Amino acid sequence: MNNDLPARRETAGLSQADLAAAVGVSRQTINAIERDRYDPSLELAFKLATFFDCTVEDLFDPAIDPDRLHE
Amino acid sequence: MSTTPTGRNRHERLAKRRRYRWLMVGSIAVGVVLSLLLRALEYPLVGEVVYWAGIVGFVAVWLATPVQLFDERDVALERRAAHLTLNVFAPVLVVGASAARILTYVGAYEVPAVVWGALWGYFALFVTFAVAYGWLRYRS
Repeated sequence: MNNDLPARRETAGLSQADLAAAVGVSRQTINAIERDRYDPSLELAFKLATFFDCTVEDLFDPAIDPDRLHE
Repeated sequence: MSTTPTGRNRHERLAKRRRYRWLMVGSIAVGVVLSLLLRALEYPLVGEVVYWAGIVGFVAVWLATPVQLFDERDVALERRAAHLTLNVFAPVLVVGASAARILTYVGAYEVPAVVWGALWGYFALFVTFAVAYGWLRYRS
């Protein structure tokens, strides 16, 4: 899933380890999310959004086509 | 953005998680390697004791650790690895069991008991999976 995590993290001056520690996951998990290799759970997505004081939609773009919801 | 007044504690918690995970894996790895070595040196009973010490160490760290050892990605990876493993062994069971039955039936080859044992073991594994899946589905 496309996400805005690297930009927001770098703007905040945080390392992946800092962000991982803040939301209680491993640095590898943050790395995997940033590289679009792992989609976080809803709980983790909300934790990240809370941490950056934004909405989940601000952070993640699932690129869902409204005309193809049934697929 | 949220501030992190306890950021150092959080880093320490993650470092502790890494340490405990290494301790868990190390405990069982050292136990197995030493037990193999001791068996090769003709100390099978001591090897078995060391093996069990490794197992007990693994379980002790797992149960007694004050931190969460695995995060959600670890769980997802475990699920995918289990799925992959089942996908590897399903064809082995389907083709292997059929081949063993046919070879036995036509008398072309006497399938060793150990192979039958392995096939029954795989079968038991898939039955266990089916029961576990059904139970989880019923509960969800």
